[in-house]
Parts: sequence; C-alpha cells; structure tokens
Amino acid sequence: MFPTPIDKTSRSWQLSYQALLPVALIFWLLPLLAVAVFSIKPDTDFTTGNYWGFPSSFEFVANYGKVFFASDMPRYMLNSLLITVPTMIGCVVLSSMTGFALGVYKFRSNLWIFFMFVAGNFVPFQILMVPVRDLTLDMGLYNTIPGLVLFHIAFQTGFCTLFMRNFIRALPFDLIEVARVEGVAEWRIFWYVVLPLMKPALAAMAVLIFTFIWNDFFWAVVLTQGVESQPVTAGITSFNAQFRAAYHLMSAGSIVAALPPVAMFFLMQKHFIAGLTLGAVK
Amino acid sequence: MVLKSKSILATLATTVALTTGAFADGHAKLSGDLTIFSDMSNPAPRAVMEGMVERFGAMHPDLNIELTVIDREAYKTQIRNFLTANTPDVANWYAANRMKPYVDAGLFEDISDVWESDELSGLASTKGAMTLDGKQWGVPYTYYQWGVYYRADIYKELGLNEPASFDEMKSNCQAIIDSGRKCYTIGTKFLWTAGGWFDYLNMRTNGYDYHAKLTGGEIPWTDDGVKATFANWRELIDMGAFIDNHTAYSWQESLPFIVSGDAAAILKGNFAVPPLREAGLDDSKLDFYQFPAINADVELAEDAPTDTFHIPSGAKNKEAAKAFLKFVVSAENQTLINNGDNLGQLPVNANSSVDDDKFLQEGFAMLSSNSPGGVAQFFDRDAPAEMAKVAMEGFQEFMVKPDNLDKILDRLDRAAKRIYK
Repeated sequence: MFPTPIDKTSRSWQLSYQALLPVALIFWLLPLLAVAVFSIKPDTDFTTGNYWGFPSSFEFVANYGKVFFASDMPRYMLNSLLITVPTMIGCVVLSSMTGFALGVYKFRSNLWIFFMFVAGNFVPFQILMVPVRDLTLDMGLYNTIPGLVLFHIAFQTGFCTLFMRNFIRALPFDLIEVARVEGVAEWRIFWYVVLPLMKPALAAMAVLIFTFIWNDFFWAVVLTQGVESQPVTAGITSFNAQFRAAYHLMSAGSIVAALPPVAMFFLMQKHFIAGLTLGAVK
Repeated sequence: MVLKSKSILATLATTVALTTGAFADGHAKLSGDLTIFSDMSNPAPRAVMEGMVERFGAMHPDLNIELTVIDREAYKTQIRNFLTANTPDVANWYAANRMKPYVDAGLFEDISDVWESDELSGLASTKGAMTLDGKQWGVPYTYYQWGVYYRADIYKELGLNEPASFDEMKSNCQAIIDSGRKCYTIGTKFLWTAGGWFDYLNMRTNGYDYHAKLTGGEIPWTDDGVKATFANWRELIDMGAFIDNHTAYSWQESLPFIVSGDAAAILKGNFAVPPLREAGLDDSKLDFYQFPAINADVELAEDAPTDTFHIPSGAKNKEAAKAFLKFVVSAENQTLINNGDNLGQLPVNANSSVDDDKFLQEGFAMLSSNSPGGVAQFFDRDAPAEMAKVAMEGFQEFMVKPDNLDKILDRLDRAAKRIYK
C-alpha cells in the first residue's frame, strides 16, 4: 500500500528519481515562478505577448513602489492583520475553554455537544453565503472588520474545539485529579495545569488559523466591499483599471500579500506540521 | 443657525425662480450639504471626480460637499441599497437600458427641466441615451467610440485602403488572409467582445432601431433580420477572418496578435489605444476606421457607451445637485476632464474641444457628424443583464460552431420569452 522507501529501491530507480524530482518541482512551481517574474515586468510585456520570456525591462522598483506607495495595498494589509489576529486570538481562547470543558468533564450530553462541533465542520460553508450575508446586514456588521472577525471565530471554533478536545483527552488525567485532591479550584486547574501543557497545541492552532484566515477569499468577498474593511486577498483586484487588468501590479501585490503566511510557515514550520498531524496519530 | 439657513434657502428659491440660468456661471448661492456617491474608483477617474468636487466647491464656498467613492464593481450591487436608504444627492450610473430599472422604480429624478436650459444645448448627441418615456433622467459626463483599429503599415504593405463597404472589407480581409495573417484579433473569453461584433453587424444590417427593439425584447431572436446579421457574420467566420482559439483569451490577451502583426485589426473601444501605443504601435502603424456600411438602406449608427450622473428621487439637496450636473456637462469642464491627462475619452458637449489625439479626434468627428442612425450603448448595456449573458454566450458559440445557429437562436428566443415577460 505504501510506496517503498527510496533508499531501499534499486540504484537505477534512485538515480531516475533524483533526476525527475527537480523537473517535477519546477513544473509544480511554474505558476508561482511566473507570478514572481510577472511582478518585475513592465505592463507592455503583456500587450506584446511576452508572457514567458525574459522581461523587456526590469521594473522591480517601479512595480513594488506602486504597490506600497501609490495604491491601497498597505491599507488592505492592515485590514488583513486586523481581521486575522483577533480571529486567531478569539478562536484559541474559545476553543481552549470548550476543549477543556468537553475533554475533562463528564456530563450527560457531552458527546452530543462535541458531535455538534464536529458536524459543523461538515457543512459546506458556501451554502451559508446568503443567510450569513443577510445576518450581518441585519446586525449592522456588513462591510465591517468586526463582522468578518465574528463570523470567522464562530465558524473556525468548531474545528478548533475538535482539535483541542482531543489534545486535552490525550493528557494524563491523573494530573487533573491530583490537583482536585489538593483542592485547587477548577479554573485554576485550567489555568495552571492544563493550559501550560497545551502550549504546543495552542501554537500549532494559532499558526493554522492564521494561514486559514489570511488566505480566506470567499468570505472577504461576500461580507466586505470597500477599502475600509476588505482584506488583501479581496483587495488585490483593485489594481485593475476599468478596462485593463494590471497583471504586473497584481503579481507584485500577490507576492507581497503572500509573504506573511509564507513567513509564518517557515518560522513556525514545526508547529504547522504538528498542527496538521495532531490527532491523526494516537 | 436654523433661521440663517432658512433665509438662505428663501433667497435661493427666489434666485432660482427669477433666473434659472444663474447656476451655470456659478454665482448662485448654494448652501447645505451635497452628498455624492461615485463609482469612479480607478486612479485616473478618481482624480477627475475629486478635481470636479474641488472646483465646484470653490465656486460655492457655502456648500458642504461630501464625496464617497465606491469601487466600480461593488457599486453595481450597492446602488440598489443606497437609492432606497441613505440616499445621496448625486450618483453615478450608466445611460439607456441600464438606468431603466431605477427609472421604472421611481428612484431617479426626472431632470427634463435641466435639459431645457441653454447650457445643455450642446448635448444633443447623447440626449437619446438619457431619454426614457420622453423624459431625461440624468446627464452624461464621458463616452468613447468603438470602431476598427487596424495596422496601417500592414494595409500599406498589401496596398489596401480603409474599406467603404462590407464587400471591400471582405476583399481586404481575403488579401490579408492570403498574406498569411488573420484579419481580426478577438478574445471572447469574457463574451462581451463578441457582443461588439454582433452590435456592429446587426446595426449595419438592420439599423439602430432594430437594435433597440431587439435588445428591448420587441423583436424575437428567430426573426429574419437576426438571421441576416448572422449570415453576414458567418461569411467572415467561414473565410477564417478571426484568430484561432479566441475563446481562450481575454481582450487584453488578444492584443499581442495585432502587436506582432499576426492579425491586422481589432474591433474595439478607444480604450484599446493606450496599451497598443505602449506596446510600440505609434500613429504611423495604428489607425482607425468606422465600421463600413453593409446595407446601404440603413443609416450608420455607433456603439458609444456613456457614463452618467443622476439625481436620486430621494435626494435632499436637489437644487445643488442640479447645479452640479450642469457644472459637469459645461463645455469647459468637459474639455478638461476628457483630455488625455484625465479620462482620455470624448467630451459629451459639442462645444467642448477634443484633445489633440488622432483617435479621439476621429471618434469625435464620427460620433458628432457621421452617426445619423443614433448612438447605442453596447449590447450588454442595452439588453437586460440576464438576456445579455445568454445572448453573448450564444455569439461565442456561434463563432466557434456556426452550424449550431438554429439551435442557438431557438435557445435565445426561449430565454427572451422568459426574461422580457
């Protein structure tokens, strides 16, 4: 079922594997490379059809200069940050508490509540588009940053609770019982015993949520409209003029917009991978 | 304070009653708030809009102008909200059928009285586009011509002239094809470019009134006139006039073909000129001609999409709003905002001067003197949005599979029966 590890295969297969890997890698990264190259090309290269060739002139400074100083990009980046960070904090705080409650206490409907959190993850979020839009409109939160943050927190908490509850379940329950025998209040058990043990899970989840929310496009388009509230994923098209798409500026903008999650990934790689596999292996 | 503004209003009212023309020279006293919602969100139009507000504000120091610029695409959905609640005094929109839903719903103010004033006498060419039910519902501020932009150097090399008739257009095309090129580049990925071809072939075959009736749902798509239009189109398709695989390109991605000389011309609005110039086609290589006559019995009519200003019927400061509209269309302002440094399009006022630009000059001359049949807004602005989408999908399919015509027309007819009901 699993492929044989490479170091156990024949020498000739190892050689061809080593030769094919870079080729596959380049193919895989081609679209990204194209965006990177587009971002330093002048506008005319698109009109002359020079899509894949050498840039006719290098416009790195001009293009990126426009992105940072002559467009709303800085504002969009700020919006993204103002949406992502509160969502991240909100999700982590709420789900560590729900996870604690569902993981530690035994009460009658515990499992059912837990199942509801899990079931929420199986709802395809697109079908919520119209009701959520109407709801935010009725609440006066349409086209505002808090509106987007509240929705993201509500929607992401389901997944986070699953994640946290399973992590807390895997902790040695004896620790909690010992604390109870010592007469420690329940909230102190949460704060001084469980929370410190959850640090790896908290970090992993924060990193995951950050990338999820930063990269969200769908809800950004559905729930926000203007430069005062739209995150960078939705704002990137503002480079387009009425008739013309400014591919060179959109490419430069995309690169800039992609930097925070990419930086997050490389800096927190350990937590990211831990997050993805957490709960997968018992 | 209340008393003061009341007395100003009173003076204002008398001034209006005595001299309606007083607004034009900007000496009338306007006060209060003027809220403007604009969709001119792209850099150049935005600067134009802000400049107009600044200049109008300088003329009326007592007026507090509040400008809100909304993203052009988002505006199209937001207008439904803000025309009914939180109404501005002035709002941007589009001419002809695109304003019909709001006119029918009573959300736009009838401003026929503004059109009766002397300052608007130079706006005759666009009056038709602003008129519904015999009344005018807004003013235009800019428009641009459509036509055939062609490679003058290729025409010269092959010894061809700008065609005066459809037959000449076809014989030119044959010569171009024989030289190993395509006649026309087009990218139909986003459909509307095919709408341009249909508009011209249809208006040249059947005339402007037919176009208006067809897009207005009064003529069925199975009509013989429509079939004649498609027959003309088919001649071009069958001779291989259009580039291959055009369904894969956006209009911008179709430009490299004309830049490289693999295609000799493009039917497009004037907005195609800046990118072509930037790509190295100077005025000796790029030229313009009006789409030639097909049926000698119909008058020439052009596509010239027009952008407009309107006063919502819920506006609070209508006097100031009307003064602003008059200011927008004044000859002087029109000259300024439509020049090459600003919008780079055509002024709507015949008394304005056009920028010193070959294509704008030709377009202005064409629209003001050689478009007797009328000025259409473009297929997807004249037809209801839903119908336009279905129809343009049909045009695209026809360009690839002309044999499907009967099926396509049948489909469009059924769609029309549902949409225009």
